[in-house]
Amino acid sequence: MNAIEKIMLENKAWASAKLHSDPQYFERQVREQKPNFFWIGCSDSRVPANEVTNTEPGEIFVHRNVANLVVNTDLNMLSVLQYAVEVLKVKDIIVCGHYGCGGVKAALHNQSFGMLNKWLRNIKDVYRIHRDEINAISNEDKRVDALVELNVKEQVLNLAKTSIIQRAWLNHQRPAIHGWVYDIKDGILRDLIRVDHTYQLDPIYRYDENELR
Amino acid sequence: MAKEKVSADLKASLVVFLVALPLCLGIALASGAPSFAGIIAGVAGGLIVGSLSGSNLSVSGPAAGLTVVVADSIKACQTYEAFLMAVVLSGVFQILLGYLKAGKMANFFPIAVIRGMLAAIGLILIMKQLPHALGYDFDYAGDENFEEGKGHNTFTDIYYAVLSPNKLAIVISLSALTLMNVWDNYLIKWVKFLRFVPGALIAVFVGILINMLAHDGLKLTQEHLVSLPTNILNGSINDIFVFPDFGALNMPAVYRVALTIAIIASIESLLSVEATDQLDPSHYITPTNRELMAQGSGNIVSGMLGGIPITAVIVRSSANILAGAKTRISAITHAILLVITVVFIPSILNLIPLSALAAILLTVGYKLTKPEIFKHTFKKGYDQFIPFIITIVAIVFTDLLRGIGIGLIVALFYILRSNIRRSVYVVNDGNNYLVRLNHNVSFINKDVLRRNLYSIPEKSHVIIDGTAASFVDADIIDTIETFQKAAKVKHIDVEIKRSESSSHPFFRK
Repeated sequence: MNAIEKIMLENKAWASAKLHSDPQYFERQVREQKPNFFWIGCSDSRVPANEVTNTEPGEIFVHRNVANLVVNTDLNMLSVLQYAVEVLKVKDIIVCGHYGCGGVKAALHNQSFGMLNKWLRNIKDVYRIHRDEINAISNEDKRVDALVELNVKEQVLNLAKTSIIQRAWLNHQRPAIHGWVYDIKDGILRDLIRVDHTYQLDPIYRYDENELR
Repeated sequence: MAKEKVSADLKASLVVFLVALPLCLGIALASGAPSFAGIIAGVAGGLIVGSLSGSNLSVSGPAAGLTVVVADSIKACQTYEAFLMAVVLSGVFQILLGYLKAGKMANFFPIAVIRGMLAAIGLILIMKQLPHALGYDFDYAGDENFEEGKGHNTFTDIYYAVLSPNKLAIVISLSALTLMNVWDNYLIKWVKFLRFVPGALIAVFVGILINMLAHDGLKLTQEHLVSLPTNILNGSINDIFVFPDFGALNMPAVYRVALTIAIIASIESLLSVEATDQLDPSHYITPTNRELMAQGSGNIVSGMLGGIPITAVIVRSSANILAGAKTRISAITHAILLVITVVFIPSILNLIPLSALAAILLTVGYKLTKPEIFKHTFKKGYDQFIPFIITIVAIVFTDLLRGIGIGLIVALFYILRSNIRRSVYVVNDGNNYLVRLNHNVSFINKDVLRRNLYSIPEKSHVIIDGTAASFVDADIIDTIETFQKAAKVKHIDVEIKRSESSSHPFFRK
């Protein structure tokens, strides 16, 4: 049995175990999804949103990319964000980074990865803003972890800069945006930052309220 | 809020008192003890256990489930004073059981059996009280056994009662039932201040009133009324209280009796608090070891003052909960009411028709066994419903402890069966098979595992995954190894899944 056959078989086992413990499980799933959370996380296979929060399918709406970035020209991320905020009406958005992130580590070096460079460039920009703080750390791994945390905070602010979030804040006073970091060493999530509709965004990023309404 | 709680408690305590009064007398009578011994036990249960127990809503007092044991015990101890010594000693044993953490026993009563017990007690209440409601007062109030002696049982009593009803008793019980229903369901919603008066009290007043207004020829005779000794205040201390005979401590029978009472009373108390927790709207969990110690203290006091042994009791506890009690004040107050009324107004209590009290117990019985409970349990599936129904039938036709025993055996069978079914799990995707072992896999699962393994067709691929099992028996490993050999002949390719975290080395990387 090859690896692909094995995971197909495991899927059958999973579905049948679900059905066994709760015969209406899939009937309920079919009806609709009503998640309260929107998760923007890293593609890293060690940080699955459902597992680390012990949530079931249907509870978290998820978008994952390399180094959990919120890039203002990323049509993919923006579409998922708009759907989450305007259709699913999520109450909380979580930007979750993790220590030892490969994307962040790569951005701190000068090796060229071809197309991927354009993506990692966003992280280099975060480094440039906090260069002194990061350079003051001597340990290489600690430097990566410091940039991981700063990157999460930056992405939370990037969300606040979108008109999608500003409109939702103005009209519905939601969602709250949380910046978390996951520690692969102990499996614990740590809270770094939380902003909501009361947040005083730098005026240059604020859109005219009359147009947002 | 606190004020509301107190008034809810006082109201509930009135109901519990009305329910407890005939039960205390009836159970003492059935135990072959003086009727006053039942009142002492009721007071000790309310005051001592009520104050010391960790349960807010459970009520303790003389228990119908103990009557046979108590009657035999009094004979075995030869004198009532020696028996009282055994009661005191059983209390000491119960406190010891509490220290030894025997309260854990309570965790082994399956929920279906507890629910069945509650419904059965409801049914018994209805069936046992029907004759009283019809004015046929052969059996003592509060009996929970099917066989009543002298060729009588629950059904023959209903039959005799229908044959020779007492017209006035029927009028009283019917008016009491109707009035209570209207009072509790409608009147208190219209007239707010009436809600401080329980419907049960009204039922009793109406019962007394109807009997007083009846023509002399129809009036209920004393056998259809509550009967209490009326001369308590006139007697000396030694006339009222009987004290234990400490000299009896050198009789081996006293220790044997004490141990028997301690064990049976503890089981009955634990069952009752489990059931009470089930009914408790706030879903509070009673600490069981503390309960055993509280019960022990109650028995020491009851025995010291001449009372029969006590346990937590379901009928009074459920009446307490259904009457809206919030705290232990209700259980304690019911005991105070017992003392005050029995000492100061026994002649007024003696006016209460048994048929009016039967009406109160009929409503409690109905609430414990109403059709919704059966529907609700049925929806949970056969492995819940069958132990539930069998417990009910067994309790109704034997007695509480024997019925619970039968229910436990049936429930155990279903628990084992579902454990066997769930611990070996097989799925396939075409020719690919996954055999997964869950939880504890022991020799009892061997048959299922073997049947599953040997039904896998030739030329299949099989993964055997025991990495998630917390315990795997050597018999099971042996079965797997034998299958691996047999599989070669059938060209079945067997792979054992291994992981670093497996509990059994066979599945460890």
